[in-house]
Amino acid sequence: MTESDAREPGLHVHGEVGLGYPPPQRTYARAAYANTRPDAETARWLTVRPDGSVVAYAGKVEYGQGIRTGLAIEVADELRVPLSSVEVVLGDTDAVPWDMGTFGSQSTARVGLQLRKAAATARQALLEMAADRLDLHAADLRAASGRISSTRDGHRAVTYAELIGGASIVRDVDGDVALTAPSEFSVMGKTHARIDAQARVTGRARYSQDIVLDGMLFASVLRRPWRGASLASVDVGAAERMPGVAQVLRDDGLVAVLADTDEHAAAAVNVLQAQWAEPAARASTLDLPGILVNSGRDAFVTQEAGSLEEGFRAASGSLEATYFVPYVSNAPMEPRAAVALWEGDRLTVWAGTQRPFGIRTELAQRFGIEESQVRVIAPEIGGGFGSKSPYPVAHEAARLARVAGRPVRVAYTRAEDMTYATMRPAAVIRIRSGFTADGRIVAWECHAYHAGDRPFLGRRGSDSPYGAPHAKVTTYTSDSPLATGSYRSLGAAANHFAREVHIDEIAEAVGLDAVEFRLRNLSEPRFRRVLERAAEAHGWQPATGVSGRGQGIAIGIDVGSYVATAVQLDVAGREVRVDRVTAALDCGLVVNPEGAKNQVEGSIVMGMGTALYEAIDFQDGRVLNAGFTRYRVPRSNDAPAIETLLVGDDDTPSTGAGEPGIVPIAAAISNAVFDRTGERHRELPIQRHLR
Amino acid sequence: MVTIRINGEPHEAGDASRNLLSFIRFDAGLTGTKYGCGEGICGACTVLVDGQPLRSCMSTVGAVAGGSLTTIEGLAGDGDLHPVQQAFIDEQAMQCGYCIPGFIMTTFALLSRVKAPDRTQIREALSQNMCRCGTYQRIVRAVERAAASGGTTP
Repeated sequence: MTESDAREPGLHVHGEVGLGYPPPQRTYARAAYANTRPDAETARWLTVRPDGSVVAYAGKVEYGQGIRTGLAIEVADELRVPLSSVEVVLGDTDAVPWDMGTFGSQSTARVGLQLRKAAATARQALLEMAADRLDLHAADLRAASGRISSTRDGHRAVTYAELIGGASIVRDVDGDVALTAPSEFSVMGKTHARIDAQARVTGRARYSQDIVLDGMLFASVLRRPWRGASLASVDVGAAERMPGVAQVLRDDGLVAVLADTDEHAAAAVNVLQAQWAEPAARASTLDLPGILVNSGRDAFVTQEAGSLEEGFRAASGSLEATYFVPYVSNAPMEPRAAVALWEGDRLTVWAGTQRPFGIRTELAQRFGIEESQVRVIAPEIGGGFGSKSPYPVAHEAARLARVAGRPVRVAYTRAEDMTYATMRPAAVIRIRSGFTADGRIVAWECHAYHAGDRPFLGRRGSDSPYGAPHAKVTTYTSDSPLATGSYRSLGAAANHFAREVHIDEIAEAVGLDAVEFRLRNLSEPRFRRVLERAAEAHGWQPATGVSGRGQGIAIGIDVGSYVATAVQLDVAGREVRVDRVTAALDCGLVVNPEGAKNQVEGSIVMGMGTALYEAIDFQDGRVLNAGFTRYRVPRSNDAPAIETLLVGDDDTPSTGAGEPGIVPIAAAISNAVFDRTGERHRELPIQRHLR
Repeated sequence: MVTIRINGEPHEAGDASRNLLSFIRFDAGLTGTKYGCGEGICGACTVLVDGQPLRSCMSTVGAVAGGSLTTIEGLAGDGDLHPVQQAFIDEQAMQCGYCIPGFIMTTFALLSRVKAPDRTQIREALSQNMCRCGTYQRIVRAVERAAASGGTTP
């Protein structure tokens, strides 16, 4: 794209590629995302077109978090143009700067900042061009609404379009360019409709599931019945004779029917006669806690202070408890789908993945071709919550299309998506605490066993923010009967559930109100502020022990953002009704307040599902409840009224808003159920354990 | 041969047993109606048949033969927005947006039946649809706004 800039009219701003690459050693990001490396030192981030409109380019993807709008807001503000004249191109490896992937709530923090700098660089360039054109000092000019005018005589003015004309101008991002001060924001921090809303409400927005090409065949893939099963033999004869079947393909272990319609492919795959080889062990739900604890390895200390022995000696009371979270399905509304097209040795794949560049690298390696011969386009993505980083259907579609010589679509059914996509890891977390009679935590020992073959995942959020002078937190990676992967906040939600329920248990033991007890042990001002603001806005009524009111609270930190969440609920029989939730979030400078609030609300609803009903069940290695008839997720009549307070300071850098909201909610709900019923719930989901 | 009208246009299907959602999406090319579960319980595939909401993933072309269907693409004229669509934009009632066409069709059907539903009626009607992003609070407000702005009259 760099070469073509020279010919394309407009003002182009180029800048560094590979922000945040490589991620630090021994981190989840390194393990999960660093398979791909920057393909250039610099790339084009922004263009002011000859008509004065602006297009920004970013390798991130839009999968519900609203970054297309967030990035457009930042660009519009720095470039002094209306939001309506900014377009944002995302997730197409042929069109945007290389990017490692959309994860860890870094879109606003890193890419947003880069685009702000690019936009400010463009504004500065336009001011200099205007100074020449108007024969005035740049200092006497101001930019507003896509136009530069004299601060003394508003009639001496020139538009961006007039300045650019037919020229092609290239500038490099000025790393030291002066960014607009928060007090001067005119677009940032205000409420705007999403720039992609209209396409979504009219059905024009195209998702991976919606990509249909001429001559395309629909594939149905023979799926293994349990994790680790390998195909011993398959008889394809009957399937080949089914209506509409073009061919039954075998490519190593991949067996698939290709047909003229989705239904014909699905019908034919059902008559394949397959024999599966037994793996060594096939586990069931009830085996899980034992597997997690007994197979724990890769012990890693995430927090250490003083000596536990000394701490427990100084304590006047102690508690020990074990907490459990099951596997949870991300269950995005859009099941994964991909379409692959080969044109000679050039491959194009449409795949709703968070890692278009990572998938490009994988595909190039698989087929032994250059990355430049592969184009991955991430269209609109119907949710994912972290789990659309691995994207096996992209590989399947590309393999099948290559053999078939025609474009091929592979799309998961709902049952496939909930069986073969990754899940949030199950975890067992043991906590032992020592405290004084006046409510100070003096000793904190935690062992967290998280399922999964990705180490590091369980470390996130495992350290305690309560200032215990003697503390040791150890995380372990444990065997996982089911495939695990990213889920909003990774292991932080599980770690927070355990810790924040345990904190409530100590508060109860020492006879202190849950808010008061936390404040006694928290020194970080940002933590104290979110807690105080959430409690105040919620109408928290201080209580010791069980008040019967059904109020609960918890705090959390994730991706650098602080959050506190208070809930009000009732329990009727085996049903918990969460009526009202109040959350205070400090994510620093807020670019798009409605976007941030929307994310917090979504995190709360999603986390409520994990607290109350969600759990993947399996028997002899087979997932039993892959589908929405047997896997309950929150619906509109379950959803609480949510109030979100954004309490960060404008001069604190932006941190993520998409994930923090989920970390305290399950504990807040468990604590509120205790406050209502006197029953402590240390295992999720709670509704399975109500009597 | 089965004939159905979709958004006023006649469409012919050779196979009466063809799944209605697949027909709409792949044969008629109207991909605004979404596949979410294939079990008739998430509501992403909701369309109107002669004004009544139907989970198209659980139906066949033959079952609606001769009927008149409305999909998300047919709710408003070209370039126009229906008040229900506008209300979803105004309340920012979406994140990934995949479920939103289904919610809009369910809302349209609700407001055709009940001009001014209360919040409980809205929550119950919308509980037929799923939004995994959890934007329910905004969706409920969008329905209230749509009802206040004249409901189903474009």
